[in-house]
Amino acid sequence: MGYPIWDIAMGGSVLMAVVAVAHVIVAHFAVGGGLVIAVTETLAFRRNDGELRQLAKRSSLMLILVSTVFGAVSGVGIWVVAGLVAPAAISALIHNYVWGWAIEWVFFFVEIVCAIVYYDTWGKISKRAHLFVGWLYFVAAYLSLVIINGIITFMLTPGKWLSTHAFWDGFFNPTYFPSLLLRTGIAAIMASVFMVFPALKAAMAVRGHLLRYLGWWLVAGVLVSYGGYRWWEAVLPAEIKGLFLGASPALRQLATTRHFLLWALAATLVLGVLLLAVPRLARVVPAVVLMIAGFAFFAGFEWVREGVRKPFLIHDYMFSNGLLVSDIGAINDEGLLARAGWAAHDADDDPLSRGRQVFRAECSSCHTIDGYQGIRRLLPPDPDMTFGVLSTLSEMGDAYGELAPGQRIDMSSLDYPFMPPFVGSDEELEELAQYLNSLAASGGRLAEKGAGQ
Amino acid sequence: MKPGLIPPLDAAPLPGPVWLFQVLLVLTFFLHLVFMNLTLGGTLMAAISRLLSGGREGDHRTVLTSRLMRVNSYGIALTITTGIAPLLFIQVLYQQYFYTATILLGWIWFAFLVMLVVGYYAAYVFKLRFDRAPGKSTLGTLWLFLSALLFLLIAAVHVAVNLIHAQPGKWAAIETSPWSILGDPAYFPRLLHFVLAGFAFSGVVMAWWAVRRAAAGHEVELNGKLARSAWRWALWATVAQIVDGVVLLLVLPRHVLLGLMRGGAATMVPLTLAILLAIGLLMMLSRVTDPVRQRGTVTGTLAALALTIAVMAITRDQVRDLYLAAARAKFELMTAPQWGTFALFAVLLVAGLATVAYLVKRVLSSPATGSEAA
Repeated sequence: MGYPIWDIAMGGSVLMAVVAVAHVIVAHFAVGGGLVIAVTETLAFRRNDGELRQLAKRSSLMLILVSTVFGAVSGVGIWVVAGLVAPAAISALIHNYVWGWAIEWVFFFVEIVCAIVYYDTWGKISKRAHLFVGWLYFVAAYLSLVIINGIITFMLTPGKWLSTHAFWDGFFNPTYFPSLLLRTGIAAIMASVFMVFPALKAAMAVRGHLLRYLGWWLVAGVLVSYGGYRWWEAVLPAEIKGLFLGASPALRQLATTRHFLLWALAATLVLGVLLLAVPRLARVVPAVVLMIAGFAFFAGFEWVREGVRKPFLIHDYMFSNGLLVSDIGAINDEGLLARAGWAAHDADDDPLSRGRQVFRAECSSCHTIDGYQGIRRLLPPDPDMTFGVLSTLSEMGDAYGELAPGQRIDMSSLDYPFMPPFVGSDEELEELAQYLNSLAASGGRLAEKGAGQ
Repeated sequence: MKPGLIPPLDAAPLPGPVWLFQVLLVLTFFLHLVFMNLTLGGTLMAAISRLLSGGREGDHRTVLTSRLMRVNSYGIALTITTGIAPLLFIQVLYQQYFYTATILLGWIWFAFLVMLVVGYYAAYVFKLRFDRAPGKSTLGTLWLFLSALLFLLIAAVHVAVNLIHAQPGKWAAIETSPWSILGDPAYFPRLLHFVLAGFAFSGVVMAWWAVRRAAAGHEVELNGKLARSAWRWALWATVAQIVDGVVLLLVLPRHVLLGLMRGGAATMVPLTLAILLAIGLLMMLSRVTDPVRQRGTVTGTLAALALTIAVMAITRDQVRDLYLAAARAKFELMTAPQWGTFALFAVLLVAGLATVAYLVKRVLSSPATGSEAA
């Protein structure tokens, strides 16, 4: 909260979602593509199958163009956007897992070198040497998933880390292995849906053979993903699972997304079976539909995973706005603007201006004014109720503040389980209420403009 | 009382001693610089050479462009990959300053990602569609210039972030107008420093490559011309670099310059070495009139240039710490080393580099036989 605040009309969380979803799709293709291409070339070698070899060759260009370019840049993009919209959060993650990321970087470096060499040496080196490069690529790419999966799952289910703060306790957390299985399946799905396009470039006579081959990969990927997803759901703590099974009326959207992703997976399976049964039906448009179905499942899962983590960035440790659970009491005593240097710097002395800065520091990581999660349309019609809601959010802070380290809160006991508590002094709570009510009132937009930063 | 603008330290301690992260930051940044010089200077050089040659077949400048972009189609990927590690370590060591600088630039900082993707694909468009079709060069040259311009802009953004993060005293003014960083006296000399280093490094690498080709008996005349041309790029870039280097020293804030001078052996050895290496480089570059016949000097110059970059990376890191000395004195960095996971990283790093070395060796020693070369 001590960082400057980037005012972004579309909402920082939306930008983060766009970059992250684009990245994970490509990154999983990079892993799955590595496996499918290496197996494809191996089979081509053993069976002396020129068409399979061509499929592997064309796919390797795709791997270079999609993975080493867009994948690498969007991966950096996640850090860049996180640093812009949630600097305290990414800083906390990096402080705990810098060596994990450093290890992942080593694997990524090997992966990129292998990808370049693999693509550039078709027909230039012996087939055995080329196969070696392909398999080495896959091993390095998969190991990078093995590492990053630990950091991603840690954020949702930090497990024993909350009391020990030990690297491996957080890394091998309760959802680590289910998530690894799920992501392995997703990687196979992504590889299949991408590689259908190079397969369509083959002559009509052999196209069916290639598409049926990819159909097997797709069906296997769907089945592994389904198993991984169910396992992932089963090991989630009950209060988290309850969130997307519809326990919270305010989070019905998550339950809907869960249904959506499972239907998308079913649709991907049906299309995979069709690919096996009648590969001649495959053209560009059906291939695009298949790709959309695969992406929809994956994006839906990522949406649910991010959604059920609310209101935390690291569960039970740091909220999504960068507030540490352990800081609640101190900020309530000192006041938010005594801690948030940039918000205090941008605030004038009048209550509306201070209220706006409290909003920017505490709420703007999730809420815009009129865009995504726009606060204006979420405000209660009665101005007194705004104060009441904020007071309830402040009381939630007391409940969090009473937890012993490592102890979990009963989410169902909270009125707004998906929101961080309000922290700050009583005056700041009133100032925030005044600012929010000024937005709701007819002169709200003027108040917003008049409040400076 | 209002708090200061420097954000508080992260609640979690550093998972290793400061010196270790500093060594890793400088080491990985050096690796990044090697590839970055080729990406930035090489693409600019390729675009200008292509413009001068008009894409004429057989012209040594057309070949220079072609070789630079062949290297860069992979070099850019390695620039990004090697850039990830220093980006990680700078976030560990300078989180309060680095994040603040990027937020103050906002969309300008984010834009570098978009420029990188477009610049990279533009380089690929040139390589895959225009490089092998000399003569039809106008559109191809435009793609090259687009790529080069975007890489130059990315460098401009990075120079801005680096100058902002090192000067908390300017943050309030930057918040009002991010563009005011262009008025920092060190801004343009620093940007020019990177561009010139890129020209010098790319020039020597291209000359070295051409000399090796000529020595192996491939297109001796063409490679000789190419080597001389690339060498001239390196020579004149280094002449300009020495002037720019002096300017860069003189525009440093007084406390930073004095800090360098009074830092004892720790700062004066790298700085003196860098200056001596720069002068030595100039002498080596000016002595070579025919690179093909002076192969030893060409190789020596390349090694000296790499060493200069390494020493400059050290000095650059020290300059940053001198800029930030007063601000950082207010904070006490806590450390709780995770030695076990660091050891795993160190072992895997060595294993990874060994794997890459083995890979290269195996690839070089396994040429395709007749039936495999399809």
